[in-house]
Amino acid sequence: MNLPGMNMRRVYLIARQDFLGYVKTWGFWISFILPFVFIALGVVLAEMDVNVEPLRYETILDETGEHRTGIEALARSERDEVVLRLINRLSDDIFIPEDDARAIGDRYRAEGEDGIRTYLTENNSALSRGLKIPAPKYVFVDPPANTLDGLLPFLRGERDIVFNSEAIQLNGVVHIHEKDGKIGVDHWSPNITNLNARDLVQRYFEVVSTEKYLDTGGLTLEGLRAAQSPNISIGSFDPTKEVTGETDSQEVTLSDRIPFIVALIMTIALWFTVFLGSYMLLTSVLEEKLGKLLEIMLASTRFSEIIFGKLLGVAALTITAMLPYIGLGAIAVVFSLVMGPPEITAGIASAFTPKLLVFFPVFLILGYVFYGAFLIALGALANSMQDAQTLTMPIALVLTACVGVPVVGFQTPDSPLITFAGWFPPSAPFASIMRLPLDPPWWELTLSAAFVLVCAMGVIWIAGRILSLGVLSGVGVKTVQVWFSRVILRRHLSA
Amino acid sequence: MSDPQLSLNSITKRFAHKVAVEDVSFTVEPGEIIGYLGPNGAGKTTTLRIALGLVKPDEGYVEIFGQPPGVSAFGRIGFLPEERGLYKKQTPRESIAHMARLNGMRATQAFTRADELLEKYGLGEAKRKKNKDLSKGMAQKVQLLAAIAHDPEFYILDEPFSGLDPVNQQILENMVREIANLNRTIIFTTHVMEHAERLCDRIILISQGRKIFDGSTREALDRAPRRLVVGSDDAGLTDTLTPFAMEIGTRKDGTLNITLKNGADAHDILESLVERKIKLKHFDPKPPTLHEAFVSMVGAGKSAKTEESLP
Repeated sequence: MNLPGMNMRRVYLIARQDFLGYVKTWGFWISFILPFVFIALGVVLAEMDVNVEPLRYETILDETGEHRTGIEALARSERDEVVLRLINRLSDDIFIPEDDARAIGDRYRAEGEDGIRTYLTENNSALSRGLKIPAPKYVFVDPPANTLDGLLPFLRGERDIVFNSEAIQLNGVVHIHEKDGKIGVDHWSPNITNLNARDLVQRYFEVVSTEKYLDTGGLTLEGLRAAQSPNISIGSFDPTKEVTGETDSQEVTLSDRIPFIVALIMTIALWFTVFLGSYMLLTSVLEEKLGKLLEIMLASTRFSEIIFGKLLGVAALTITAMLPYIGLGAIAVVFSLVMGPPEITAGIASAFTPKLLVFFPVFLILGYVFYGAFLIALGALANSMQDAQTLTMPIALVLTACVGVPVVGFQTPDSPLITFAGWFPPSAPFASIMRLPLDPPWWELTLSAAFVLVCAMGVIWIAGRILSLGVLSGVGVKTVQVWFSRVILRRHLSA
Repeated sequence: MSDPQLSLNSITKRFAHKVAVEDVSFTVEPGEIIGYLGPNGAGKTTTLRIALGLVKPDEGYVEIFGQPPGVSAFGRIGFLPEERGLYKKQTPRESIAHMARLNGMRATQAFTRADELLEKYGLGEAKRKKNKDLSKGMAQKVQLLAAIAHDPEFYILDEPFSGLDPVNQQILENMVREIANLNRTIIFTTHVMEHAERLCDRIILISQGRKIFDGSTREALDRAPRRLVVGSDDAGLTDTLTPFAMEIGTRKDGTLNITLKNGADAHDILESLVERKIKLKHFDPKPPTLHEAFVSMVGAGKSAKTEESLP
């Protein structure tokens, strides 16, 4: 089957050449497998229990004798919070049954991290292998000397301390001293960018000051915290939400927010695909122009066939390059649908509406063709990579400005800016997808797509003309500058 | 007589008010080998692009295989542009097969043909190398093979010999000759007159966008000034030669280089010298060359155009 004025076999051959030209290179396959390499590396590191941040050994030299116990207690309490939060999150994310999570929490409070491991070994061996409790960032050890001067050789690595029968280097000293009734705190450490222990001490003294202040009014810190934590929870309701079952309500849940998150991810994916594909097209045309390949093809191929062949070839290439991400995304969606909590499953199911399934590919193709044809034309005008960068700057700025669409659209999809962007062809592909959770009418989306289609056809026509001028008449940046100067700025060059 | 394969009819093309081609007409008959000659910037490449339909003429019209240029001619033409290249990452085999397929060949047939051509022209060992690793001469041969692999009826070659060393020029000349022996039609541009002289049935000469000669190679050579080299110690030599000469120059060895006037004949000069009993040491009529014809006709063409433009 041939489109009017085009031979699909020649279009296919040009597309094939562009596709294979990239796919046969090492660079392409390195980029292709990179996500898998990173995932594999992450899994290996997790399995090997590799901690990229070494455990720091800190000590407290408390000349006042009043704060060391309190600081160490705060460190323990914060560590407990981290572990319990992890257990709760895993429970929310379906990895741990709710009963297990409660029991694990109890065992942790009673016996510490060993209690978690014992419980899991006894009750859930699969989880016992999979659950990785993040290692603490630092531990406090007893000071190996009673003065700062005595501790400094340990910090400089001249001497080691013994901790759990191992010789280790001391990483930091919290020095609490008092002069004229005023407390001073210094943190000594050769690891000058590692501020975890220093920040802990800072938080401790903030608590101490707050407690002292509250004490003047006969109040306690616990009382303040109880007053700050809300006793009421604020429900969110959407009056436009359709209630389908007796147990259903118009309360806004995570399930209702998921379509917005999906729209955001799809818009970013669309933008990234358009960006990647368009710039591959630019490089491809530039290579053919500089390699003087186009004219020889023109005795047997139409300009339109070259343009469509390139658009198709690079589209296939872009999709291939993005396959790892598409695959990982699809796995995540299927996994969430099959194994996720009902709220997430319902949210994802409601996000993939017929409109999304129809208009995402439509706007993906239109956005790619619109920007791709522009960059084909500009590639034909350029005589070097520098020329190409200069010429594509306005397009790059427009495309970069479109990044604002998902940013604004996620918070306020009903923003007038997003509505306008939905009708403005360069931003319409991105804005239309961002608006989908608001369920705009079919006619609006269709008309918006039609605008982009008309503009894309115009751009293709212009691209064909420019390609012809660029290839056959040597028209380049200089010609564009002269035209701009004469026609736009109305400057007449002196004879 | 069969229909011409290419017919240009009063073609004029201007680029930003500069005339590139002006009122050029000629036809190319099947089986002809035509040298399309002219100095740099004469309008040769523009004419060939118009012939292929890549550039539209401002005036006049073109027919190729009896139709306006376009799709109907695809696959029937082998075109080698002046500025040409290859995909760096492709192999010569892939480059030739790709072009052959674009011109309508099936994949298997195209690769078989590429292998045959590469073997035949001494590139068999390089057929799986990357194009970027080929020498300039090898790359130019591959470019030509890519243009002709589909065995077209009509070859349009723009400066096919440029950039080649003498050995590769000879190989290319042999290739053109082989194509000609298959009764194919060829039009090519060149600056190397010797190639045109040896290969062409017909010469078309263009200068400043206008056709100034269209005829057989023999007719072109007849337009070349005839020269004669004469040497003698006799004082009356120059006086005897002057009535026949348009120009007399002295060579390093003391012999005279004479450019003959129109109508003057070497035989008449020899008779006159014998009559005056001038003892000759050297008498050598020089055969005309296409180079001389080219220089002479281009010079005359420029003068004519300058005169026309005077008020």
